[in-house]
Amino acid sequence: MRSVLLVSVDSEPVTGGWPGALTGLRVLELGTELTHYCGKMFAELGADVVLVEPPEGSPLRDQPPFVDDEPGPENSLQFFYRNTSKRGIVVDLAARDSGETIRRLAAGADLILDGLPPGRLEEIGAGPASLIEQNPELVVTSISPFGQTGPYAHYAHSDLVCMALGGLLWMGGYTDGPPVRAFGDQAYMAGNLFGAVASMVALTHAEIRGQGQHVDVSVQEAVVMGLENAAQYYDLEKHVRRRYGGEQRQAGFGVFPCADGHVFLLAAGLGGDRYWGKLVDWMLEEGIAGADRLLEDRWTQREYMYTDEAKNEFWKVFTSFSLDHRKEDLYHESQKRGVPLGPVNRPSDVLESAQLRHRGYFEEMQAFGRSFRIPGAPYRLSATPWRMTGPAPRLGEHTDEVLVDFGFTGPEIERLRETGAVR
Amino acid sequence: MTVKPLKGVRVIDFCWVGAGSYATKLLADQGADVIKIESRARLDSLRLSAPFAGGVAGVDRSGYFADRNTNKRSCTINLKTEEGRELARRLVQDCDVVANSFSPGVMDRFGLGWEEVRAINPSVVYLAMSMQGDSGPYRDHRGFGLTISSMVGMHGLSGLPNEIPVGTGTNFPDHIPNPCHAAFAVLAALRHVRRTGQGQYIDLAQTEATISTLGTALLELTVNGSEPGPMGNRHRRHAPHGVYPCRGDDRWVAIAVTTDEQFAALGRVLGLDEPVMARFANESARLAGADELDELIASRSRSEDQVELAERLQRAGIPAGPVRDPRDLIESDPQLAERGHWVRLRHPEMGETIYNAPPFRLSETPTRLENPAPLLGQHTAEVCRDLLGMDDDEIERLTAAGVLA
Repeated sequence: MRSVLLVSVDSEPVTGGWPGALTGLRVLELGTELTHYCGKMFAELGADVVLVEPPEGSPLRDQPPFVDDEPGPENSLQFFYRNTSKRGIVVDLAARDSGETIRRLAAGADLILDGLPPGRLEEIGAGPASLIEQNPELVVTSISPFGQTGPYAHYAHSDLVCMALGGLLWMGGYTDGPPVRAFGDQAYMAGNLFGAVASMVALTHAEIRGQGQHVDVSVQEAVVMGLENAAQYYDLEKHVRRRYGGEQRQAGFGVFPCADGHVFLLAAGLGGDRYWGKLVDWMLEEGIAGADRLLEDRWTQREYMYTDEAKNEFWKVFTSFSLDHRKEDLYHESQKRGVPLGPVNRPSDVLESAQLRHRGYFEEMQAFGRSFRIPGAPYRLSATPWRMTGPAPRLGEHTDEVLVDFGFTGPEIERLRETGAVR
Repeated sequence: MTVKPLKGVRVIDFCWVGAGSYATKLLADQGADVIKIESRARLDSLRLSAPFAGGVAGVDRSGYFADRNTNKRSCTINLKTEEGRELARRLVQDCDVVANSFSPGVMDRFGLGWEEVRAINPSVVYLAMSMQGDSGPYRDHRGFGLTISSMVGMHGLSGLPNEIPVGTGTNFPDHIPNPCHAAFAVLAALRHVRRTGQGQYIDLAQTEATISTLGTALLELTVNGSEPGPMGNRHRRHAPHGVYPCRGDDRWVAIAVTTDEQFAALGRVLGLDEPVMARFANESARLAGADELDELIASRSRSEDQVELAERLQRAGIPAGPVRDPRDLIESDPQLAERGHWVRLRHPEMGETIYNAPPFRLSETPTRLENPAPLLGQHTAEVCRDLLGMDDDEIERLTAAGVLA
């Protein structure tokens, strides 16, 4: 192996029970919607992730959808999905000396995931710099809506607002209507995902060179990473890209109806238009009226493809074909013919996918007094498999055992419980 | 000068187009030596994708390609030649990561499949990020970010109820879900190498990594038995929650009221009437009357400047922000400017153009973007000399023979 990567590894006890790639790492997550999925990624590759919540719980515990539509701190599916495989403790940061409790915990951790408002850790006397000073190999990753610095650092936030200020909101929606956001709090998800990468980068440096550090992740900037080529379009060609939903971006590119829903077709505007001919051949074989006219020279001209005339004619021809077929059938035939087309699936289609079923993608989970399927491994590591080790923790479920693991004595824990500092 | 955090990690990168190239870029920007193996015989189609410097097409002129390939070296090797494949096999012998985003089987045909590579480099992390994974009835399927987004439900869930769904307007899985999951998995697997010397194979199905960002929607179905659908900009619990028109052409402000206090503050900023405020004082009333509230807010926002209104709302503690377009983000977003998000790098053919800095800052190993995307084959001779120990005659011969092309 390449010598530059060889480092001596300390002989810390390996906990967790299976050889995960991140087994032995201790992660303390001062958790909110900004860190939960990031913490889950660490936990399911083997790290011991301790979710630290305030007495009222993570803000996500209050967010629908709930099990059987019954609100309650143990019922949020949003919270549950993002917090599987973790242990949970309650520490009241408003209590006196809470900073000391956090400092003690941080002394035994490799990574802190900080989803608190910028400056909150400093306020309780546990700022990232001081935590790293007492534990020089510690990585503290703060994921915040706009970053730790700058004029928006303390702005009020929501996923919608981060999508707006990150520009991705602008890109989605209908040509003749307002911007529409992507489903599923994708701005916060982007912050979590880039936060996970940044944390692993810093942990790599800490393991190789013994130097910890503070990582400052901005959700807004993470969203900007998703703008595709829009920044470059403006910079290089002075063109401001705009949403095109509800119609074709150009003839042959967009969402079209079919017998049982919709398909996304990308027959034009990609790879030197090599897909156009394949699609037309397909429709010719099916005897679709007007398909022959799509071979005329005008369809090779980029400007023409953007005209209403071109879009309307293509729409008429293609939908007279697509409306007679189911999305899954169109998809399979398109794969055989090398035409880029995807079925616009609903969650129930995803759940029933023959491919995902074959690969055993969904895991079986027991919680809420029932057994149900839950999305599984986002990646399959052959030697150190991804693993979901359990449900999300109940509020304060592991407080005592975690404090013991981090070196607190029985009387200390009792005193912390008496003052309400931990629960 | 500080050391870069991933200095010493070498990646032989066979990825092309979207998600794969973005994943290895994340590593390159943190100091990994990423050597992109590409060929004139089969160009990375992103090199042919708009926008182009000055609007003039060319393999070294795409801004889309450039932003995805910063800090990499480009080495042209034609893998359709036996000698080319042999050179690639020598390169993967001495590296930490081998990455590709081909359909399953393509790397095997080049003699560069996992089993072949592990036989000559047992501690390698081998990342394979195909569209739907290396097994199952759809393993050979191909697609783009947009088809993935459609298949996994993201497209269909984004839009207005009972309208054609709109998705994100981009190849979203290529830019965030897949590159981030891939880079994270590679870095985790490298940790295992450091501890045990053992390499491994990572099968990342781009569909599966993207579904992981939609977990709650699937739980709604499997736990509650209800099928979630698109809901525009609305929130299941909070209202008002949406995008409202402002003065000017296609200008909007996003507002998300999440507490009763914020709603009271919104009423003061917009000058809403007392009876309206009383009627909508609590969350369930607001949710039930969301249509009426949206109209009311739009009637007030329409005459306002999007930036000024958002600032007034923020000063009152309400989550709000102008809907920025790409030009705003580059020219007038004070936060991105202060954070130094946009970086301009000089490229030999494109001149000085814009790049994204990584969306995070590291306090002790700050990395600045240094090198623009490589020209096609810019580093071929250098890689052949330094890594493969070739002399100039050999390089010339292989170039003339079309192997290094």
